[in-house]
Amino acid sequence: MGKTSSQFEILAPAGSWEALMAAIKAGADAVYFGVEQLNMRARSTNNFGIKDLKKITEICSGHGIKSYLTLNTILYDHDLALMRNIVDEAKCSGVDAIIASDQAVMNYARKQQVPVHISTQSNITNIESVEFYSAFADAMVLSRELTLQQVEAITREIRRRTITGPSGEPVRIEIFAHGALCMAVSGKCYLSLHTHNASANRGACIQNCRRSYLVTDKEEGYELEIDNEYIMSAKDLCTIDFLDKIANAGVSILKIEGRGRSADYVFTVTTCYREAVVAIADGTYSPEKIIRWKQSLQTVFNRGFWDGYYLGRRIGEWSNVDGSAATTRKIYLGRGHKYYGKSGVAEFLIEAHTLKVGDEVMITGITTGYVETVIQEIRVDDIPVESASRGSLVSFKLPDKIRPSDKLYKKVANQPS
Amino acid sequence: MIQISQHRKKCIGCNACVEAAPGRWVISQKDGKSTLVGGSVKKDMYVVNVHDDEWEENSKAAEVCPVRIIRLKTL
Repeated sequence: MGKTSSQFEILAPAGSWEALMAAIKAGADAVYFGVEQLNMRARSTNNFGIKDLKKITEICSGHGIKSYLTLNTILYDHDLALMRNIVDEAKCSGVDAIIASDQAVMNYARKQQVPVHISTQSNITNIESVEFYSAFADAMVLSRELTLQQVEAITREIRRRTITGPSGEPVRIEIFAHGALCMAVSGKCYLSLHTHNASANRGACIQNCRRSYLVTDKEEGYELEIDNEYIMSAKDLCTIDFLDKIANAGVSILKIEGRGRSADYVFTVTTCYREAVVAIADGTYSPEKIIRWKQSLQTVFNRGFWDGYYLGRRIGEWSNVDGSAATTRKIYLGRGHKYYGKSGVAEFLIEAHTLKVGDEVMITGITTGYVETVIQEIRVDDIPVESASRGSLVSFKLPDKIRPSDKLYKKVANQPS
Repeated sequence: MIQISQHRKKCIGCNACVEAAPGRWVISQKDGKSTLVGGSVKKDMYVVNVHDDEWEENSKAAEVCPVRIIRLKTL
């Protein structure tokens, strides 16, 4: 998607090669990702390794987008050697910035002249903290618990005091625009540590807050059912319907949460926010468009949406669903076989279920990223057919190249429960 | 004899096992993950056979591991 000038930089999550490519295709200006275990998704099996750094930065710079490396857990002495190694390798690979929360990372990265951004784990809530961190960082994310009035006051004061980062440019302010919210103040939750010795602040959160709970009367053992059992599970943040207010608050970077999310999630969310910031820039941001974006955002993983604390809510809104309230889900159909570039035809081997004319399909892969289309015609052995079942080698028109490692899915509606 | 095994790839280097059983676990200076002292690698698993008297400390290490990658069994 072509980019139009906008005051916002859209920062998308890249927890996998598929998500990285999907973010690029959807028009992200920058991506953030983690390597090894010193990041907030240490538990994730998708994490990249140090060896992947060069390839990631090459892909990003090749597509004209920035790459930010998260190195933002609590650090102990025994982590310092690995931390330094990651910073050194990030520098060699040309990573655009390191997202840090521990002063050890900030200090070492500054010595190595690697730009630093401040993580939400540092919980910046006031202008003095911004000024303090400006000695290290050119961009900082503000605490998710601030109101837009507080955000606006901070950006105004940055301009008034001319607070600049190490680059000499004014400090840029980032906020979380979309995705999962923590039930606790970010970086200060110890639930997972208490129950499973798994520190959320070391990237090992087991997400106790997403579970349902009973209250037990300790004297007689009676268990009380609570109307909404998910008493701690915050709904997901969605700001697409007040991005104009966020623009007026002087925010520069919109961060989309979700390094644990799939390529279709990253593609859909990034596309919506890209379209929205372009609409704000060209004066076409409208209620009709907001409705369409919200419908689109509801098709992928979500726990129901709310506007976070930005508009002045005093208490959170809790989800009432186990897992996702997405309006669609994907069904695996098969894998890539061959792509005929001249005729623009993709061939897939169907391994499960049936592909029909009219189906809405998506393709994900480590190089392909994310592609979606509606099937107009299917051919088996070059003969048009209405449907193709398991075992068939099918072909259909697709402008995007596909690879044998790609997976084909069908999008189907989720039945409301 | 008991056998201690560790799925090292998934280690997040929290140091909890080192604190529980300092004689058997050490954090690698190279990659920041916990290394099973005396262990040999089979596929992704690091394994070592040790005397029964190491059971208590290492069962504590398995219990406190946040990513549950340490296993003990009696041979």
